[in-house]
Amino acid sequence: MKQWALLFVLSLVAMAHAQEEKSYPANSSPLAWNSHDKSPLSLALELAAGNEGEGYQVHDGFWSGTLAKSEPMLLEVYLFAGNDYRFSAANLDPFSQLRLSIFDTWGYPAGQEYSGASSCATAGISVIRSGRYFIQLLMTEGDKADTCMVYSYK
Amino acid sequence: MLSKILRTAALILVAAPSGLNATAARLTPEQMRNASFLDTVSIPTPGEFFLAVDKQCQPNWSKLLRPSVPASTSDREHIALHLGILVADGFMAIEAQDGQSVKNTARDILLLAKKLNVSQQIVARIQSISDFSDAGNWNRLREELDAMQNDIRLCLMEQKDSPLVVLAMAGAWVRQLDMASNLLATNDISASTALLVQPEIASHILTRVENLPENSKKRPIVKQLSEGLHTTAALMSQSTYSLTPSAVKSIASIMSAITAAAADVDFKK
Repeated sequence: MKQWALLFVLSLVAMAHAQEEKSYPANSSPLAWNSHDKSPLSLALELAAGNEGEGYQVHDGFWSGTLAKSEPMLLEVYLFAGNDYRFSAANLDPFSQLRLSIFDTWGYPAGQEYSGASSCATAGISVIRSGRYFIQLLMTEGDKADTCMVYSYK
Repeated sequence: MLSKILRTAALILVAAPSGLNATAARLTPEQMRNASFLDTVSIPTPGEFFLAVDKQCQPNWSKLLRPSVPASTSDREHIALHLGILVADGFMAIEAQDGQSVKNTARDILLLAKKLNVSQQIVARIQSISDFSDAGNWNRLREELDAMQNDIRLCLMEQKDSPLVVLAMAGAWVRQLDMASNLLATNDISASTALLVQPEIASHILTRVENLPENSKKRPIVKQLSEGLHTTAALMSQSTYSLTPSAVKSIASIMSAITAAAADVDFKK
């Protein structure tokens, strides 16, 4: 439920950002999420920061790019048994809909999605088997939008 | 504005919180083959690797810490590899919850960063690391060390030192495997050898090393790294789930040799 409340709040933030002039200053550090820039990265990091209360810490690295509808981005990651991971993605188009999915070594869906009809999405997994996994980020509704994804672990 | 907010709220509230997995189709082999591999996301940090090692093997981290080794070489490739190894050492000190070792390692990292002209950008991080070490805030320390590693990477890229970025990345990964493979080789924890099965990462780093400029590749330390990665990638590709005891020992031997060579103060070009 906390995830949903967070997604809701972040959608409102994204909408407010969309009303203002867009500016994407270069980030000196990916973890500079508390800077005042209004970027997909700052939104994704705000979303990830919501997991800190549960003991998650943010991995200092991110994917960013322009996502178009029905043209998913697939990223390879290595996840370790015993760890819990949460992936968080966001863009500044409040009427776009993002979906984050996790797939295991063989390409089967794994973990849990919290992606709803929103420009923010998260997915999480408690890893039982160490190895290669795939993270798919898909825009199901909306036009092209700069999007960013980060992840947290505990 | 209000209608937009309400619309978004409605969209969120009607969405199902789970169960979307049922509609996600299995990835095709071609999709998996063409998946992106991003250094800063696809390669796990030492922090998350050691966290998993801690959960699976419960090592005595304090006994695994090494004494600080001063680096006197002026070879930039060598320094970059050593710097990556020290970053991993810093994460091990965090697992050991040894604040003084974390601070010592951070100081050594700063010394190496100076030699690579990237120290100015991490001075503030070093101070934060010192503060968090004193406070015993281990989670924040992991994030801070992670961020410092990324700051160094960004600075090296800015000054067109991309070969050094590759070697620092390789150093951190080598030290992770060095620690974990030696732990698994000397203890009967065969169930955890899956932690070492990372053939795609080994191949990726090997490719990056093989694509370094000739001037960098001719360094003995880089040659040793390249050969070690080649053998390691082959050993890791033998199984999806686990490694044989002999494979673990071989990886331990290779990684220890590279780690020791990187710390060799009598290194000759």
